[in-house]
Amino acid sequence: MNCDQSVQASLETAANGRAPTGNLAAHLEQCATCQASFHREQDLFTAIDHSLRKGVNEEPRASFLADVRVQLSKETLAKPGSNAVWAVTGATLAVVLIAMLYPLVNSRQPRVQGNLQAATVRAPQSTGGTQPARTFSVDSGLRSGKYSGEHSAATSTAGQEPEVLVPPDEQKAFAQFVARVAGRDAMAEAVVIPAADKTAARNADLPEVPSVNMADLKLDRAEPGEWMDETGGSE
Amino acid sequence: MQEFTWPDRTAETELALDLEKAVLRREFEQRLEECGTLAFRVARGVLRNAADAEDVAQEALLRAYRRVALLRDPARFRAWLVRISFRLALDHLRSARRRERRETVWATDVPKPTAEDIAASNEFGRRLQEAMESLPKKSRLVLLLASMDGHSLEEVASVLQLPLGTVKSRLHSARKQLAEKLR
Repeated sequence: MNCDQSVQASLETAANGRAPTGNLAAHLEQCATCQASFHREQDLFTAIDHSLRKGVNEEPRASFLADVRVQLSKETLAKPGSNAVWAVTGATLAVVLIAMLYPLVNSRQPRVQGNLQAATVRAPQSTGGTQPARTFSVDSGLRSGKYSGEHSAATSTAGQEPEVLVPPDEQKAFAQFVARVAGRDAMAEAVVIPAADKTAARNADLPEVPSVNMADLKLDRAEPGEWMDETGGSE
Repeated sequence: MQEFTWPDRTAETELALDLEKAVLRREFEQRLEECGTLAFRVARGVLRNAADAEDVAQEALLRAYRRVALLRDPARFRAWLVRISFRLALDHLRSARRRERRETVWATDVPKPTAEDIAASNEFGRRLQEAMESLPKKSRLVLLLASMDGHSLEEVASVLQLPLGTVKSRLHSARKQLAEKLR
């Protein structure tokens, strides 16, 4: 064992509070420097232990426990079984909450299940265009409830068209929305329909007008007074 | 603060609860003989003076007393009390440090220590205290408990609910770290 190894081994041995053995003991017998280093380490650990023990094993004042007892007599002890009381209270509150929430959850349940039986409200087609009919599926409560008369043409096409789930309190508003959208379909179609078709449809309604040859028209210069309107201003 | 009472509680139930409280109180007072000093020593190991350690130990004991009925495993009382004392002592030390810093800033006419004062002060103890404060809390608690008279490593392991090997390795490491700082 060389001196470097000895220093490390000395530190470990002193930290454990053991006496040197084996190679370390042999080296320390031969090397005075390492021996001195080992003794310094031993002294250091002894001083640490001594200081720690001195502080930690100090006794409190003789009246310390009596003072604590006096303070204890003023204290209120936590109620025995408080954990059980809290557990029972918590369980009771949970049951009450579940009981309160169950009807709410239950009332929402048929709407989800009712998807399969959902009725479809079809927007009335005001024009004979080729656009597919826009449909809205609402649950059966819509037809059986407030909104039933206006859309007698409703057909059941559930499963073929996208469905819109409407909560009961919004069914009336939704029905009005459907009606409005249906009314605007005609306007939308008029905008979207190809221009040629529109021209043909318009021409069919107009009376026949003979064509005018531009060359036959005689253009005269207008007099300044002719441009004046009734108020005396010009356009 | 007025205690809450259940409206349907009968006199017998109240009596039974009072009896249970009395039993708990008697048990706690019996433990006080043994654990009061332990709480003080743990606090003293963290703090520099005995007066502060007494205050902290008393507070730890009062806290333990208030909650003793809620302790599910009475066998763990000692470990519980040691941890309460240790934590309170650390809190106390931190607040004392803050106070000290404030006072250092504001005090302008504090007399400087004389050469005799410096000589009389325990320099090694002060350095050891500083070195202790730089240790991890877990190692520090093991070191304090192991330094107490009559506490074998097995007992420290039992109090802290740790394996003996863990206690040994923490102790060894803590001692080496202290020596490193004091060398």
